Amino acid sequence: MKAIIALSILAVLNMFFGVRKMKKVLLPLIFIGLIITMILNISDWGKSVHYFNEMFIADNFSIAFSSVLILIGILIFMFANIYYKGVERPLEDIYALILFAIIGGIVMASFGNLILFFVGLETLSISFYVLAGSKKFDIASNEAAMKYFLTGSFATGFLLFGIALVYGVSGSFNLEAINTYILGCNGNVPMIFIAGMLLIFIGMSFKIAAVPFHFWSPDVYTGSPTLITAFMTTAGKVASIAAFYRLITIAFISLHSELTTTLTVIAVLTIIVGNLSAVYQDNLKRMFAYSGVAQSGYLLMALIVLGPKSAGILLFFVLSYVIATITAFAVLMLIREERGTFFIPAFRGLAKNNPVEAFAMAIAMMSLAGIPPLAGFMAKYNLFVLTAEGGYTWLVVVAVIGSMISIYFYFKPILASYFSEGEPQHKIESSVNFKINILVLSILMILLGFLPQVIINLL
Amino acid sequence: MFEYIWLVPLFPLIGFLVIFFNFRRLKGVTAGVLASIMVFIPFVISLFFFFGLMNGAEAKTVELFSWISFNKLSIPFSFLIDRLSGLMLLIVTGVGFLIHVYSIGYMKEDAGFNRFFSYMNLFVFFMLLLVLGSNYLILFIGWEGVGLCSYLLIGFWFKNQEFNNAAKKAFIMNRIGDLGFLLALFMLIHQFGTLNFAEIFSKSSAIPVGTFSITMITLLLFAGAVGKSAQIPLFTWLPDAMAGPTPVSALIHAATMVTAGVYMVARSNLLFVLAPVTLMTISVIGIATALMAGSIALFQNDIKKILAYSTVSQLGLMFVALGSGAFTGAMFHLTTHAFFKALLFLAAGSVIHALHGEQDIRKMGGLKDRIPVTFWLFIIGSLAISGIPPFAGFFSKDMILIGAFHSGYVLWVLSVAAALMTAFYMFRLLFIVFWGKAAVAADPKHPVHESPKSMTIPMSVLAVLSIIGGFIGVPALLGGSDRIQVFLAPLFSSSEAFLKHGAEVSESSEILLMTIPLLLILGVIFLAWSFYVKNRNIEQEEPERSFLGNLLYRKFYVDELYDTIVQKPVAGLSTFFHDTIEVKVIDRFVNQTGNLVVWIGKNIRYMQTGNVGAYLFFMVISIILILVLNLFK
Amino acid sequence: MPNLQIIPLDYYIIFCSALFAIGVVGVLVKRNALVIFMSIELMLNSANLLLAAFSAYRNDPAGQIFVFFIMVVAAAEVAIGLALLVMIYRSTHTIDINVLNKLKW
Repeated sequence: MKAIIALSILAVLNMFFGVRKMKKVLLPLIFIGLIITMILNISDWGKSVHYFNEMFIADNFSIAFSSVLILIGILIFMFANIYYKGVERPLEDIYALILFAIIGGIVMASFGNLILFFVGLETLSISFYVLAGSKKFDIASNEAAMKYFLTGSFATGFLLFGIALVYGVSGSFNLEAINTYILGCNGNVPMIFIAGMLLIFIGMSFKIAAVPFHFWSPDVYTGSPTLITAFMTTAGKVASIAAFYRLITIAFISLHSELTTTLTVIAVLTIIVGNLSAVYQDNLKRMFAYSGVAQSGYLLMALIVLGPKSAGILLFFVLSYVIATITAFAVLMLIREERGTFFIPAFRGLAKNNPVEAFAMAIAMMSLAGIPPLAGFMAKYNLFVLTAEGGYTWLVVVAVIGSMISIYFYFKPILASYFSEGEPQHKIESSVNFKINILVLSILMILLGFLPQVIINLL
Repeated sequence: MFEYIWLVPLFPLIGFLVIFFNFRRLKGVTAGVLASIMVFIPFVISLFFFFGLMNGAEAKTVELFSWISFNKLSIPFSFLIDRLSGLMLLIVTGVGFLIHVYSIGYMKEDAGFNRFFSYMNLFVFFMLLLVLGSNYLILFIGWEGVGLCSYLLIGFWFKNQEFNNAAKKAFIMNRIGDLGFLLALFMLIHQFGTLNFAEIFSKSSAIPVGTFSITMITLLLFAGAVGKSAQIPLFTWLPDAMAGPTPVSALIHAATMVTAGVYMVARSNLLFVLAPVTLMTISVIGIATALMAGSIALFQNDIKKILAYSTVSQLGLMFVALGSGAFTGAMFHLTTHAFFKALLFLAAGSVIHALHGEQDIRKMGGLKDRIPVTFWLFIIGSLAISGIPPFAGFFSKDMILIGAFHSGYVLWVLSVAAALMTAFYMFRLLFIVFWGKAAVAADPKHPVHESPKSMTIPMSVLAVLSIIGGFIGVPALLGGSDRIQVFLAPLFSSSEAFLKHGAEVSESSEILLMTIPLLLILGVIFLAWSFYVKNRNIEQEEPERSFLGNLLYRKFYVDELYDTIVQKPVAGLSTFFHDTIEVKVIDRFVNQTGNLVVWIGKNIRYMQTGNVGAYLFFMVISIILILVLNLFK
Repeated sequence: MPNLQIIPLDYYIIFCSALFAIGVVGVLVKRNALVIFMSIELMLNSANLLLAAFSAYRNDPAGQIFVFFIMVVAAAEVAIGLALLVMIYRSTHTIDINVLNKLKW
């Protein structure tokens, strides 16, 4: 809660200073604000505080995922400097929207009541719609925004209808109360309720870009401005999967066994389609979009087997995904700026001219592909072990095959940067700050690979 | 104080890492000096430990960290320092240090100087792991590691393809033995649920003698030892290993690595005494090896090869001792053999160095006046190995012979025969190389010169040890206190109960057992003298040999045998697998799969039509599907 | 209120589902962006009606409160949607959504 208040104040302050045309203050202000928010957030650890009549629950789960979201914010703003270098138009609205999106995400990770869930979801989504179209005069950005809006609102409609049905049958919006209702039904849950529940899940599946609801994802992620794509693909997934997890484990836990088939099918499809579609992509941004779809598939696996450690493993997976993705996007942004394209040939010879960037990219790609001893490998390993122990061996087999396929496209940039001779490209100028940032992120990925238990045991 | 045991292997490891990462930067002899210091410090520490043990300190297991532990199997990374490992520590670090110093002089001109010392330090590290491990797995890590270093060092001059082949041969034969060792490890886990020495040995006391599983385990362990310690049938790599630099032969193929098998069996004595079948097998293979190798050595003309076959033969004797239950005898001979064999190899290196690379003894001669220091060192080594009192070899060989006698008269006779052969080929070597006239005229451009002090001093130390080293095991009969027997007793005493000895040997019989071989040996030496000094006729050309002579000269055609039975069929099989199965089947399968994935990827993209309407349509269809399937189950 | 309960709840459910379905069909079939927006609004409002109905039948104000939330959000959403539409119109001079097909494959 404190985090939300702090962020809101920060966003307003940000707009204030923006209106006053004090541009230089904006980013430092936001950084300080975000760090204060992070501290405030973590200070609530261990206590489970319920606000607003059980609507907003700040338990460890919510604090952990909120921290990840705030971390995403910090990382995004770290690279916003470079992305928006030399841009004349006012930026404070974009920054404010990013902050509001984070607030929406935090709400989505901490809800105790379907109403608040909806509010958080919409805050996040609407901010995303606008952010996707933030490059006003770029057709691709416009198209991305419109597509996102149309499909997103459509999905929201279903979600809402589902919530209405669930409410109607169970009599309450509160997650605990819904659970009590289900338990009270003694196995005879009305069809309408199940229909409502399924509709809610469909809405959620849309947000995490699970197949067959993923169609918006490649187009939107390709068309949006790169920094925003980085933000959406990380924050969007984190918030959504946290919300999904919360929903299942608190409200619908008793019906979980009924849902596993559907979830498994969706997860399998997602992993397969996501990985296969990414194979033939030359446009790196689009490739990341598809790979993000595949990663959602793995995230879904954590929902299928609910063990005592699944929250922790989910957190760890999400964390490693976030760090790897943002690092990759940072390098991608840099290349785009200098070379003007997202295609693989732009990466040729990167290792010779910019060893730090090439290294960071390589580590990020390998972490996503799941190469030991990086964080991504430990995350996948823990996840797969958890799923296998739950008895879903076939699912693990599919996931492993998917990972193998993903190695192909994740290694394309690495091979291009280290082993291809492009025309002698000149060195890409990047500030020392940038280099330090991505280096720190790379080291973090390596370190996390050795200490997964630290994160997993938090939850 | 034993808690600091981890320092011992740490120093050579640091030495390896430092030299390895500073290849180009280390100039001159720095690498060599550094490496030697990195072996010296552990030696000093080992001395402290040893004195502690001698003064009655208790053996201790020091755990470094919990390495493998899941379900019921726990294998910690820990070291065991007791009297047996303490003794081995001294040998490895002590002799190792001396050889390192020697190598500084020997390898000075070599371009790969730094590389050499990095490998040497790495070897010492692994050997220490092997000796210090408190469970079979750490022993195995050291076991494999020394095999690797042996490969690296044998093929040190890798530009020569033959040397590379020798290195490969060594590694492969080792590996064959290691397969047995691995199987033994699995069976150990199956039988005992652990690989820790302490637990296994205490649990073994409850097992009756002669069970099938223990026999299998010990046979498989011995199989590993056969590979590592060059016994029949896996011994042909050792003579070929002489391709490496002489210090390598001294350290690895005389004093340390090849003794790993003996150490391992001695360490596992409580298991071996439960399997009389294995013990007998060990004795049989040991004596067969000793005789076969000894007989081959009689006709060899390469100075290093003679010493190599001698090593194989001496190792055979050590195994005879182990098989007869004379574990202390085996360890004693291991110790003294380390001293004099290392000395002999280093001295041989000195000769080769003096003659600028000549290794054929038929081209040597009359060196006793030209390189007197080396000459005297060689004499000391030869006397020691032949078992002449009061040199070290006498007492250790004596202990082995007595042990063999307890096992059976035949074994005793054969062991004496092996000892006689030892004396003969050693003194043949001595007389041919150092006496008589020089076979080849001295070349004024490359004068024959004595080795530098950096080489002679270590050799001298070894010579002193070869002289006095025997005194740690003087039997009571001769007025000694049999110290090594007493020292190692705690390790081997429990086994005593299992060993069936013949009737107790009376004192007079013991004196006979000591003197008869001695007299025979002296006779053999005289024989050699008469052949090679008095009526010196060294054939320069290949002489007409009798069938037997040819058989021996061609080393019983063992290598050729292996080539036909093993090498060619395996190579044929390998080619078949590659050409047919690999290329036609597997490659095709893998490539097709890859192509399939790419094809799917290419076409699945077209699902994204770009048309929002289509997206929404797919979504609705899926929603309906999900709802229908779930609600109407 | 007694009057409302003369109409059984089931009718409300069926009615709202029908409205919802009409909205869905509208989104799928129509190409005019404004009509699609309207259809989406229809979907949202059908959910609103459903919530209000449930809320009345259970005498639980929570549902009606939620309706307020939804209305606010829907309004915001539509505002955004229209702004996006204007943006697109500026470049393409049409409100046919099939014009958005540059991002594909």
